[in-house]
Amino acid sequence: MTTDNAAPISGSIMVVGGGISGLTTTLEAAEVGYEVFLVEKNPYLGGRVAQLNQYFPKLCPPTCGLEINFRRIKDNPSIKVYTMAEVQKVEGGPGDYEVTVLMSPRFVNENCTCCGECVDVCGTEISDEFNFGMNKTKAAYLPNSMAFPARYVISSKIGADDAAKCKEACKYDAVDLDMEPKTVTLKVGAIVWATGWEPYDAEKIDNLGFGKHKNIITNMMLERLASPAGPTEGKITRPSDDKELESIAFVQCAGSRDENHLPYCSYICCMASLKQATYIRERYPEAKIYVFYIDLRTPGNRYEKFYKALKEDENVIFIKGKVAEVSEEADGSITVVAEDTIEDGKVSQTVDMAVLATGMQPSAATAKPNADLKISADGFIVNDFEKGGMFAAGCANKPADVMSSNQNATGMALKAIQTLVNR
Amino acid sequence: MSDRYLAEPDLGFINEVVGLGGDSLKKCYQCATCAVACPIAPDKKPFPRKEMLAASWGLKDKLVGNADIWLCHECGDCSDLCPRDAKPGEVLSAVRSYAITEYATPKSLGKIVNNSKMLLLLLVVPGLWFGLMAYITMAHGKTMDKIFHAVNEMIPIGMLQKFHWYHGPHGDGAPIAHAQFISTWLVDFTFVPLSLAVAVILALGLKKFLTDIHANAVIEGKAEKTDFSVMDVFTPNFLKAFVNVVITILKHQKFNECSENSDRATPHMMLLFGFIGCAIVTGVCVLLLYGLNMPGPYPQMFLKFIPNPLKALANVAGMAIIIGSGLLIKNRLDKTDGTTSYKDWYLLAVVFIIGVTGMLAEMTRIGMPGMPAITFAIYWAHLVAVFNLFAFLPFSKMAHFVYRTVAMAYAEYVGR
Repeated sequence: MTTDNAAPISGSIMVVGGGISGLTTTLEAAEVGYEVFLVEKNPYLGGRVAQLNQYFPKLCPPTCGLEINFRRIKDNPSIKVYTMAEVQKVEGGPGDYEVTVLMSPRFVNENCTCCGECVDVCGTEISDEFNFGMNKTKAAYLPNSMAFPARYVISSKIGADDAAKCKEACKYDAVDLDMEPKTVTLKVGAIVWATGWEPYDAEKIDNLGFGKHKNIITNMMLERLASPAGPTEGKITRPSDDKELESIAFVQCAGSRDENHLPYCSYICCMASLKQATYIRERYPEAKIYVFYIDLRTPGNRYEKFYKALKEDENVIFIKGKVAEVSEEADGSITVVAEDTIEDGKVSQTVDMAVLATGMQPSAATAKPNADLKISADGFIVNDFEKGGMFAAGCANKPADVMSSNQNATGMALKAIQTLVNR
Repeated sequence: MSDRYLAEPDLGFINEVVGLGGDSLKKCYQCATCAVACPIAPDKKPFPRKEMLAASWGLKDKLVGNADIWLCHECGDCSDLCPRDAKPGEVLSAVRSYAITEYATPKSLGKIVNNSKMLLLLLVVPGLWFGLMAYITMAHGKTMDKIFHAVNEMIPIGMLQKFHWYHGPHGDGAPIAHAQFISTWLVDFTFVPLSLAVAVILALGLKKFLTDIHANAVIEGKAEKTDFSVMDVFTPNFLKAFVNVVITILKHQKFNECSENSDRATPHMMLLFGFIGCAIVTGVCVLLLYGLNMPGPYPQMFLKFIPNPLKALANVAGMAIIIGSGLLIKNRLDKTDGTTSYKDWYLLAVVFIIGVTGMLAEMTRIGMPGMPAITFAIYWAHLVAVFNLFAFLPFSKMAHFVYRTVAMAYAEYVGR
C-alpha cells in the first residue's frame, strides 16, 4: 500500500513571485521532493516583506523569517531560482504547461563576493526604488542589505565609462557587460502565482496631497525610514527639513474602501499604522500620534490585543473620521481635516508629518499575467479549483497579512502537488 | 452622546427618500468624508454625514425639521469625494423634496404635484380653466362690459376712476392684445387669489418649519442662541439676518464656493434675476393698468428710437429665464453620474416653458398680426405653465427658495 500510494515525483512546479508567499509555496513543495522553478522579477527575493522595518504583531525584523527561508532555498537542490525574470507567456493546460521566461541581464555573475569595489568607482547614480525613490544609489549596487542572492547588480542605466570602470575594478571577474536578455522555456505541471501587490499610487488620491506636500508620505515609505537599513538609517524625521517629530497623523483608508480608488479593504493598513505608531513612540516618547480612521480593523485576538495596548497610550489619539482635506503650513507642517464623528465637529490637526495608510493593489491589476487566468475587476487572481493547474497565493489572490499569506501559500503548494499527482 | 435617544426607524420614509432620488443612501458607511468635503458646512456639527445616518435609519424627525438640509446647496463636492458613491448631495435633495411636501397643506395636493403619473391633471385643470376664461372674454365680452358699466354707475363721480372691462386696443390696425383673448381681469381674478392662498399655505408651513428647525437645533446643540420663537422673525435682528442672507443669495456666494457643480451657479443666477426682473415688470404693469388706467400692450420703443425700459427689462428677464433654465436642463442631461428625478425635471420644464412661451407670445403678437390664433394659443400655454409655477409652488421644488432663505436666515440669526 505505502509504496503504491507514494507521490510519483514527476513534473515540476513553477512559482511566480519570490515574496513571502512565493517563498513559502516554493519551500513547501520542494521540501516534499518536487522540483520548483521560482521566478522573481526583482534582483532579490523577499518581496514587500524585505522592505519592512518590522512585522506585526511581534515587531521582529524581516530578517527573522526571510533568513531561514533563504537558507532553506540555498540548501535545496530541487529549487531553481530565476531573479530579474518575468513570465512572458504560459501555454498548455494543467499538468503540461510551457512557460516562456524572459531574464534581464544583471551584468554580474556568480563570482561576485559583494566586496563593493565596483560601487566605489561607479559615478552614475540612480533612484533607489527599494526605498521608494527617497534616496539615490549607485548604478552598481546591492539591491538591499540582506539581498538574496547576495550579488550586486549593474543597472542598464549605467554610463559606458562607468561600466568599464566597474569591470576593471572587479578583482573576481564578476562583471560581465556582455550579458544579454535571454528567454528560457520551462515545462511545468502546475503554476502558483504569488505576484503580490504594489502600494496604491497615492498621487491618485487628489484630496490627500501626496506628491504636492513633502511631509506627506506613505506607510511603506515610513517602513523604509524606520528601517536601520533604510535611507535615513532608521531615523524618522520629516522629509522637508529633517525636523524631529513632535506630532504625526496617520490617515487610514487612503485609497482603500473607496470606489474612486480601491473599493476593497486592504486588510493590513490598520495594523500597519498601529505598528508604525510604536516606531514613533520608541523614537519620540513625547510625540503626539493621531490616527484618523473610519473603522479600525484589527481582526483576531492578537491584533485586538495590540490595538488595546496602544489605546492605553495617552499620546496616541484615535479620531473616528476620515481625513478628507489636507493643507501645508508655511513651515512645511501638514494640517489634516476630518469630522470627529464621536465629538460631532470638524477637527483641523496640524502635525509635523502625515502618513497615508495606502492600501495594496494586486500586481496583476497593472501587469496582467499572459496566462489563462480568471482575474477580478480589481486585479486579484481568482482561484478556479475546478480547472486547476494554476493557483494564486497570498496577496495576488486577496489582501492579506504575512501570516495568512503563508497559510494560504502552503495550501497552494498542496494544490500544485495534487495537480501533478492526479495527472 | 450622553443623551439617550430611542431610535424609531421609519421604513416608509426611507423608501420615499429612495424614490425621490436618494436611492444611494444605503451605501453610506459613515466615513465622514462628505462633512469635510462640503465647502459650506459649519465646523460644529457639520452636515451631511449625520443626515446620511439619519436617512439610512429612517429617522424622519431628525431630517424633515432640520435646517441643515436647507443650508446644503447640492454643489456635489461631497458626492464627488464619497468613497461609497452614496451621493450625499442627492440624498439631501431627496430629503428636501420630502420636507416640502410635509410642510405644505393639503398634503394630497403635494402627492399629486410630485407624482409623474398625475402630470396630465396638472396641465388639464388650468388648461380648462383658462379655456373657460377665454370663452367668457371672447363670447361674453358684451355682457361683461354691461356689468362693468353697472358697477361704475355705483361709484360716486369724481372719487375714483372708472373701471373698464376691455383692456385691449381700439380701432382698425391696432396691434393684437392678449386681453382680447383672455381678459386681464380674468387673469388677475385667477392669480391674485391664487397667490394669496399660496402665501397662506407657505406661512402656515413656515410657522411649523421654524418651530421644528429650532427644536432640532437645540436638541442637536447646533444653535448658539437657544431662545427663539416664531414671532422673533419680526424683530429687527432677524430682519438684519434676513437681509444679509438675501444679499448672499443675490450674489450666489454659497453657490460659488462649490467646485463640482459650479457650472450651475451662473444659470441659476440668471433664473433668479430673470424672475426678479419679471416681478418688477409685473408690478409696474399692475400700477399702470389699475393705478393709471393705462392698459397694454405697451410699445417697445418711444418715438421709434428710445427703447421702452419696461419692455427692455421684460425681454432681458425673459431671455435670462430661457437661457438659465436651458443651461440647467443641458447640465443635467450631460451629467451621467448625477440623479435627476421627476421633481427636478418638472420644475425645470415649467420654468423653461414659461420663458419660451412668454417670449413667443410676445413675438407672435407683434410679428404675426394677421394670425391672432397663434399668439393666443401660445399665450394660453404660457398661462398654464405660470399657473403650474404659482399654484403648486408650496408643493414643488420651487418652494426651495422659501425654505432655504428662511433656514439660512434662521441659521444666521441663531449663530449656526
